[in-house]
Amino acid sequence: MGHSYRAVGWNRQKRVYDLALIAGIVLYLATFVGVGFTLHPGATAETMLIRALGTGAFLLLHLVLAIGPLCRVDSRFLPLLYNRRHLGVATFVLGLLHGGFALVQFHALGDLNPLVSVFVSNPRVDSVAQFPFQPLGVIALVILFLMAATSHDFWLANLTAPVWKSLHMLVYLAYLLLVGHVSLGVLQAETSPVLAGAVGIGMAGLLALHLLAGASEVAVDRGRDAATGAAGSAAGHSSLGLSSLREEDSAFVDVCAVSEIDEKRARLVSVAGDRVAVFRYDGKFSAVSNACQHQNGPLGEGCVIDGLITCPWHGYQYRPLDGASPEPFTEKVPTFRVQIRSGRVLIDPTPLPAGTPVEPALIGEGASDG
Amino acid sequence: MGEPEFYVGYLPRAPRRLARFVRALVIALVATSVVFAALMAGSQGAFSNGAFEFGVERDFTGWIETEPYPMLVVERPGGGWSTYLLSGVGKHGAESEVGSGSGYWASLRGSLIYRDGQTMIEVSRGSVVPQVGPDSGSFGEPAGDAGSGSASGAKPQPDLSRIEGVGGERTFVGEIVDSKCFLGVMKPGATKPHRACATRCISGGVPPVLLVRDGDGVATYLLLVDETGASVGRQLVDRALIAEPVRVHGKLDQLGDRWVLRADPSRIERIE
Repeated sequence: MGHSYRAVGWNRQKRVYDLALIAGIVLYLATFVGVGFTLHPGATAETMLIRALGTGAFLLLHLVLAIGPLCRVDSRFLPLLYNRRHLGVATFVLGLLHGGFALVQFHALGDLNPLVSVFVSNPRVDSVAQFPFQPLGVIALVILFLMAATSHDFWLANLTAPVWKSLHMLVYLAYLLLVGHVSLGVLQAETSPVLAGAVGIGMAGLLALHLLAGASEVAVDRGRDAATGAAGSAAGHSSLGLSSLREEDSAFVDVCAVSEIDEKRARLVSVAGDRVAVFRYDGKFSAVSNACQHQNGPLGEGCVIDGLITCPWHGYQYRPLDGASPEPFTEKVPTFRVQIRSGRVLIDPTPLPAGTPVEPALIGEGASDG
Repeated sequence: MGEPEFYVGYLPRAPRRLARFVRALVIALVATSVVFAALMAGSQGAFSNGAFEFGVERDFTGWIETEPYPMLVVERPGGGWSTYLLSGVGKHGAESEVGSGSGYWASLRGSLIYRDGQTMIEVSRGSVVPQVGPDSGSFGEPAGDAGSGSASGAKPQPDLSRIEGVGGERTFVGEIVDSKCFLGVMKPGATKPHRACATRCISGGVPPVLLVRDGDGVATYLLLVDETGASVGRQLVDRALIAEPVRVHGKLDQLGDRWVLRADPSRIERIE
């Protein structure tokens, strides 16, 4: 977390992840080159390598882009997300090798600087069909480089989360550029429908996954809003009979019944467009903003471990009491006031400044209410 | 089912059920990617039968013609002359190796590039040695075995006079490629993915040819020159006419065993 940084701390899980990644890449390249030369003994090694590396990088990018929505749909994919940046760096390395070999093959040993040649040797920008495809690949590679170079949390902290997040959202631009790179390049030379079909299926698959994940997010918000609205009214209605109700208490909105929150887990509620995670732990209830300070991970899908709210994405932790990471870490999220009334959990939807201590609500105190 | 498991990446081990799921998932992903690799590799279009004897040097002797593009002319054993286009190393023509002006007898060292009965020689740097004149040309001797330029007796230059317009005035539809890559250095050495390379090669002085295929896909190579018979590479690069379908109207000459198409480069049309 936001403390001090080592290059990378490899634990067993990370080693297993990287071993599987490297083995997968080696198997992919070996299969491509092996099958390629078996079926096409007259092929040149450079062409085979360029194609193996290019298709490998493109395939890996699909996996990188699929992991996010997959995790929204099914949390069992989260272990793939934890070290997703390794996949990103590997994608860049494969792309760099692909681009490097292509640069030497198509542009080196000529009458122009190869890096200039990439941009000027096909000047047909006036035609869609003849449009140069190599510059698109170069721009995508630059984006992948920026992402790989800033993938360490050191950069996340120093660039600030919004800048870092915006930079890394450029992966979608890189993907579109690469679709253009492939469509305007090799697809125009190959007659087999396999590659075109694969590109199409890849695009459709990614689009479907993102729509599915988006729909489930919308459903979460709508469901919570509806529940909050209905329950809030009910709570408000029932509160009309309470002569002792303090004015400030009327701001509280209903979240759910106490029994609906599992121990060490949270219930999400959407209030005024913000998501709030209400955690239950050791008979207490605390609420914090749902967005992890690290990468906006969904804290509400996290778990209380060792008394600390733990983000499901990268394990960043916060105290339920004040939304602050334990020393020496410095991350803080906004907190919310919580009450228990008549066996129901209510929160004040007004966020308190990040790190503000809030007394947790206790089940016992709620029993006497109402 | 039991308690829902929770994954934290920096802990030493993943929860048991989750680990099992991820293991199966990773195996499935790797297996899928291997199948995908085989599919991708297998679906590639056919590679040409061209060859480039990269790293293999041979000795050649013959008449060097410098215009419109450098070529080596070797007398065939049964009479007549064969022409071999020359290129420099990399994406360069052979002009810097053979010079310009009148032709001359010479020995040189180089690597063969060949396809469909067409042969080119990539001339090794600094290997061209002018000669007084050999008794006959020699072609493709292993490096070091050929004469070293001491052949005796002057010999007149080959009778390689251009037979102008012998093929008539014709219009061809084809693709302009660089003769070096297309013959075997690159696979593929044509179509759009190869355009940048072909452009650099032709810009560097590698002879441009119009590749014309008949209905059966059999290729004919027409060496491209302008109306005056001079090299035309620069104009083709400037007009971006390389590696896409074009229509060329011109006069078909014969130069030794080679077809040469004389055409005004400003009138070459792209076929969109």
